[in-house]
Amino acid sequence: MDELDALRQMRTALAREESPDRLALRTNWRSGTPSRRRRSFKVPIVSVISTAALVAGAVVVISVTSSPAPDGVPPVRLGENGGAHEPGNALLVAATNVQKGPTREYWHTTRISGEIYAVGKTAADHYKVESRTQYDEWTDPRGKECVTVEGLPARPWTAVDKQKWQKAGAPTVVKVPTAEGPAALFLKDMQPGAPCRKLGDRRFLGMTPKQLAALPTEPENLESVLLNLKGDWEAYTSKAGERPIRALKGDKRVRALSDAAGTLLAGAPTPPAVRAAAFRMLATLPGVKAEGKATDPLGRPGTVISLPVETTVPLGIYTAPKQLGTYRRQWIIDPGDGTLLAIRDLVATPPHGSRQLPPGDDGKPRRLTVASQPDRFHKPGELSQYEVYAVAEWTDTAPN
Amino acid sequence: MATARVVSQPAEKLDDSGIVAASLEDPEAFGELFRRHAPRLHAYIKRRLGGALADDVVAETFATAFRQRGRFDGRAEFAAWLWGIAGNLIARHHRQETRMYRAFARTGVDPAEDGVADLAGDRVDAAARGPHLARALASLSAQDRSAVLLLAWGELSYAEIAATLDLPLGTVKAKIHRARTKLRKALPEEK
Repeated sequence: MDELDALRQMRTALAREESPDRLALRTNWRSGTPSRRRRSFKVPIVSVISTAALVAGAVVVISVTSSPAPDGVPPVRLGENGGAHEPGNALLVAATNVQKGPTREYWHTTRISGEIYAVGKTAADHYKVESRTQYDEWTDPRGKECVTVEGLPARPWTAVDKQKWQKAGAPTVVKVPTAEGPAALFLKDMQPGAPCRKLGDRRFLGMTPKQLAALPTEPENLESVLLNLKGDWEAYTSKAGERPIRALKGDKRVRALSDAAGTLLAGAPTPPAVRAAAFRMLATLPGVKAEGKATDPLGRPGTVISLPVETTVPLGIYTAPKQLGTYRRQWIIDPGDGTLLAIRDLVATPPHGSRQLPPGDDGKPRRLTVASQPDRFHKPGELSQYEVYAVAEWTDTAPN
Repeated sequence: MATARVVSQPAEKLDDSGIVAASLEDPEAFGELFRRHAPRLHAYIKRRLGGALADDVVAETFATAFRQRGRFDGRAEFAAWLWGIAGNLIARHHRQETRMYRAFARTGVDPAEDGVADLAGDRVDAAARGPHLARALASLSAQDRSAVLLLAWGELSYAEIAATLDLPLGTVKAKIHRARTKLRKALPEEK
């Protein structure tokens, strides 16, 4: 296939022509007096259904997810001195327990990102639905990547939500508002997974697998290297541009470093010694705390590590804050084998008020309102979104 | 409710330039041009900027065309003139467009397709080549990008693209050649 054909196959879902009557209605077109009134400007920066969770990860809860623990998880060991809630202790235990298996042909990860959406008009009369997207990635020794992206069917979040959904006639497609405009969620089986698609060179935090392998194994040195990583580390900024993490202060720096550590631990073929250093580095960051036990969205037990993040929106995408609530970001780690199981965001303060956004590219003012928030009916402590790392392993099995 | 009002029987039989001329007397006649050109133009803009912006840009394109219809001299095709206006409006969103390509390249999920119920198969396909193309598109200059996308997504001929961009044919060919080279390099090798 040549590049023109490839282009023609891109965004085909958007290429469908609509009837002139519908367009006339939507654009408010009238020939005699062309309307100057325009709809409020929306920035379709991110497909909310999956991207928000994809980049940042976040999620779910403690409660109702079914599929319980897959494999025999070794018992969580929190160290002999018993200080289970000592800040960072679980992280240090995890560091010493990082598995040191041999590397094999392929680095394979499976992650599922989920987000909880409210369907309905009022707090009293709504139900919540969990949308899920599964990503499988294989990276070969030369750093070439093969990827599948599969939209898993959305599903009612709790048993109560399921009852309400059934009462509503068990619709297989539901409309939900998002900060980027209305979206649809599908509560039915999607097309079964296709074979993975080959992409080019995979980079993790901009690094090749070879560069990852050369990262320092001392936490201080690792942090120093990460601080020099250039990227879009801001949760939102009107001036996009790459800067080193070092340029950030306070919570912003903690957020960027913890995102980077998350990538090293959950996404990348990072050598065990570097993983251990990443856990140890995290333990030294201000405000990082261990908070007791929880199960991850797949039902695996672990220890909660809370991060003092200012915002949980994905880094490097937005030009304006797109949240009206506040959140608590938590990692769930398994100190017993030194793995990061999941990252989830719980609602701290539910969305409230509204916010003037900077003008869009057309110069018109914009306003972010509660009605656009997927978690507008969440209560404090409820799960807003998550990313769970189901598999992160070396394997000799070729991609499907 | 404002629908595209068409338009006496004769207008439908006129060619585009004829309608523009008629609309100077009878503004309502212009509605037939919306009916003829809006769907394709809208689909093209949607593909570049996403659905939310596309409605706005189409509205503004036709509003501008209507306001300036007195300046349309009929020497060029009306479509090229109209797409030229749209092109200028799209260019105002150059940064936004680029940002979406970058986000797509980075995350594998295309912000432009926000809320669009595409098939899972499409998504998988996009996951393969889309981000690479998006990265390359983000790196193109505004004109190079417009030229190659008018070809691939707008399905215009080279001559139409030259008229739309108001550039000599040879320049357009050079721009498309350059853009295609970049896109080709960005594509992963098929095994």
